[in-house]
Amino acid sequence: MSKAIEIENFTYVYPDGTAALSDITLSVEPGQKLVLIGPNGAGKSTLLLAMAGFIKGTGKVLVDGLEINRKNLKKIRTCLGSCLENPDDQLFMPTLFDDVAFGPLNMGLAPEQVKKRVADALQTVGLAEMADKAPHHLSAGQKRAAAIATILAMRPKIITLDEPDGSLDPRNRKNLVKLLRFLPQTLIIATCNMNFAAALADRAVLLDEGRIVADGDAKKIMSDFELMTKHGLEVSIK
Amino acid sequence: MHHAYIDKFAYQDSAIHRLDSRVKFIVVLIFTAVVISLPRTSVSILACYAIGPFTILVWAKIPLRFVFKQILLVSPFVLVLALSCPLYDKTPYTIAFGPFLWQSSVGWMRCFTILGKFIVTMLALIALVSTTRFSDLLTGLQRLGLPGILVIQLGFLYRYIFVLIDRAHHILRARAGRKLRNLGFKTELKTAASMLGSLLVRSIDTAEHINIAMQARGFDGKWRTLSKLQIRRCDLLFVLIAASFILGLYIFVRPILQ
Repeated sequence: MSKAIEIENFTYVYPDGTAALSDITLSVEPGQKLVLIGPNGAGKSTLLLAMAGFIKGTGKVLVDGLEINRKNLKKIRTCLGSCLENPDDQLFMPTLFDDVAFGPLNMGLAPEQVKKRVADALQTVGLAEMADKAPHHLSAGQKRAAAIATILAMRPKIITLDEPDGSLDPRNRKNLVKLLRFLPQTLIIATCNMNFAAALADRAVLLDEGRIVADGDAKKIMSDFELMTKHGLEVSIK
Repeated sequence: MHHAYIDKFAYQDSAIHRLDSRVKFIVVLIFTAVVISLPRTSVSILACYAIGPFTILVWAKIPLRFVFKQILLVSPFVLVLALSCPLYDKTPYTIAFGPFLWQSSVGWMRCFTILGKFIVTMLALIALVSTTRFSDLLTGLQRLGLPGILVIQLGFLYRYIFVLIDRAHHILRARAGRKLRNLGFKTELKTAASMLGSLLVRSIDTAEHINIAMQARGFDGKWRTLSKLQIRRCDLLFVLIAASFILGLYIFVRPILQ
């Protein structure tokens, strides 16, 4: 069985010459819940973009056994769903239904299948009654859930989420943890919130200045006071 | 932030709301073309034409206060145009209403016609957007053959105009919080330019993110949606009534009133 994600010696440099990611080697097992933690500017979002094939660097990136290249890109985007940091960027269609249906329609599914997938995805995130609403009529928590539904409707094997807990109140954050914890997919989540990360992940990868500093058991890494403080983070309370 | 959306009453339910968006769009288009083509001195026939959209608005339970507010919002541009007419065309004109006669000028007649046509066509347009969800209108336009790229642009315009307004409000608030004295015209202009620049950069950033979000979900340049539109008997009945109203007034009533 191929790994969900396999990255070998990946390096990415911004057009202005700043090194964003340096010599990243990482592999993620199918079904694993992994959090990418690190201070602002550590390269977490850039690494997620690299996994989805949105940036090209040197080194090798394989998604579900497929190497990222032009030929495989459509297949890769079908098996890896990317959820962006700002839900307003993710929700671009006039209604929630159209937004969630956008991916399945581009996959070439039949209208009946699309409708079923949209209904299932909205049901999973608890927005079944909101299908006809315009995204700008949703609250921050609902927008976040809707953004996840747009990915779930495509039924990917791997889901990447960039700061999914941003601007959420504790109740909505709790609901999001509940939702993500029970998803069967491989989850790769970039976050700065250690309590959120600890509630979700079994593995943590600590990034700083574009390099992997630590990789291992989430609870162990996030309770290491010295390591966390050294990299501008805090230990999780739980 | 909560905005006054142009289609905020489109989420209500009534017989008018349930009509197919294509039918409503075509009827409003023809209605507008007929009203605009009326002679410049036909003020009374405009009042008759106003009955149509007015009835629809009342039937669809759209608050008239909201309707007149929308008309007032866009009226300054038309007011300037209409009120300039009496200044340059002072040719005498006699207005007859039954046994009563008034002396006026062609300029004033033209002014009232422009205002009348503006109000009647705005009533029709507001009736359309207040009884049709913007998403249905877009689907309808796409099904009527509007190029996909234009449909995408209109969809994005509607989706992101409110995000842009929110951002502008945030920037203005940030400025107000730190602007503790009068800065003078030059500095104000410089600040405004910086604010606009910041808004532009953030808009470009958003556009790039949307592009990523679209590509991540398999967008290949082709706009695909699940159309829920269907022409039913009631749509055909609406077309029949609308056509009878528009043509009836044009053919039978207009010659009497002129």
